[in-house]
Amino acid sequence: MGRNVAVVAGGHSKFGKRYDATMRELCAEAYKPIYDEGITQDRIDASVLSYAASQFSGQGAGSALIADYLGIQDKPHMRVESACTTGTASLRAAWGMVAAGLYDVMLVLGVEQMNRVSSATATEYMSQAGDMRWEYPFGISFPAFYALMASRYMADYGIPHEVLSRISVKSHHYGAQNPKAHLPKEVSLEEADNAVPICRPLNLYDCSLITDGAAAVVIAAEERVKEFTDRPMWIRGIGAGASEMMIQDRKSLTSIPGAKRAGKAAYEMAGIGPDDIDMAQVHDCFSIAELIAYEDLGFAEPGKGREIVENKENYHEGRIPVNCDGGLKSKGHPLGATGISMTYEILKQMRGEAEQPSRQIKDVKYGLAHNVGQSGQFVNVFIFERGF
Amino acid sequence: MAEEKELYLGYATDKAVTPFMADWLRNLEQEKLMKSKCTSCGTEYLPPRQHCQKCLSICELTEFTEREAKLYSYVIVDFGPESLSDKAPYVVAIGEFPSGLRLTAHITNLMSPPEVGMPLKLAFEKIDDKKISYKWLV
Repeated sequence: MGRNVAVVAGGHSKFGKRYDATMRELCAEAYKPIYDEGITQDRIDASVLSYAASQFSGQGAGSALIADYLGIQDKPHMRVESACTTGTASLRAAWGMVAAGLYDVMLVLGVEQMNRVSSATATEYMSQAGDMRWEYPFGISFPAFYALMASRYMADYGIPHEVLSRISVKSHHYGAQNPKAHLPKEVSLEEADNAVPICRPLNLYDCSLITDGAAAVVIAAEERVKEFTDRPMWIRGIGAGASEMMIQDRKSLTSIPGAKRAGKAAYEMAGIGPDDIDMAQVHDCFSIAELIAYEDLGFAEPGKGREIVENKENYHEGRIPVNCDGGLKSKGHPLGATGISMTYEILKQMRGEAEQPSRQIKDVKYGLAHNVGQSGQFVNVFIFERGF
Repeated sequence: MAEEKELYLGYATDKAVTPFMADWLRNLEQEKLMKSKCTSCGTEYLPPRQHCQKCLSICELTEFTEREAKLYSYVIVDFGPESLSDKAPYVVAIGEFPSGLRLTAHITNLMSPPEVGMPLKLAFEKIDDKKISYKWLV
């Protein structure tokens, strides 16, 4: 399948309510560490520079703006959009171009600026990713779509809300140790379980954050990798999936069909299975999404995801460490940046560069990124292999 | 999209975005909820589509007469999108009819928390002179 492609460098802005920066400055913050490692503009052939929702900044033709700000205005660039999978969709597009031989070295950057509007306005923009004719008129916000899944999941499998809260407690435990996190603080189970309702059965601590931030990686073709690093991370599996536009049309609400398809395709391409995965970054836009991800990715049987949670198998020393950077819940969820942030975290874990030993996962050979857009209409699953 | 945004909080009867939707709205005004049926392969859609998802042929509107459904899933929206935030909390439910067709709408008369599997009844509601919607009653 074309040339082998590796991730050779990564950079990450501070995530948070960034009133000190807009989209362009966040992008510079994400590219600067890569530049400082010696991957200067002249070494980059082309780029994919993406954000999910132009409503937040009002900026059209944004990849031109970003390319210009980063000093790569004379190199081919493009923006890819697919809701919250914008980041991994950009990586998928760039991988294709490098694997095919069109370019050797590409910068892939995802960004979102979300906090220049109120939470209500941000919720409004995101609800417009539902069907504008048949869903939007009923005020189905982004958390509401996942609450529809949660209600059905909780009824079918008889799980208490506390199981979901335990996922949030874990996310905050690790986010508190991540200097890039938006909300780096621990929460207690009691606090998480009794928080103010947002879209019942989901409460405040079941929901990810409205975050400003950017993340970037550089990928290179096999024959060029050594010029950039002796610690590459190979892209071994890419699976993409899709699901029905309207949530009422899904056969099941206890699983995301596109995520199952994406996971299967990624495992097949990589030639490995769920048991081979040493760590996963999953799309916990809501606590229920992480629980469902365990099952869609084959880490647990349907309805049994709670066992991973209750046995703490998802912690950094557990059987399948998940989101030991705080995840979308505590690290934050700048839509277009999220998939690249997942990739960045896996690279960091493989290289043993977590800031705290208390969140460093041991000996990561295979890492998986699971990035979901809207309520499952888009899914990308990447499997990465340590190349050193 | 801008035109459809104005449909918020029910369907504006004088702002149909296509002739097909105008027909659908004229029926809704008479408390007829129309589904659509493919003129080529016969597949049915609720809510209606003008083009068949399977063969892309034209669909025609036909009346949907089922009224009793079961609650397939629900959400109580406490914090809504900006344009509906003053209506919160409100309950959105997916109901499943015996035929297997499903519909998404608000439940407007709940006195106790909704439960998966509970019976729902489809009803119509005139919001004002030019706006109409359908809803679930328990």
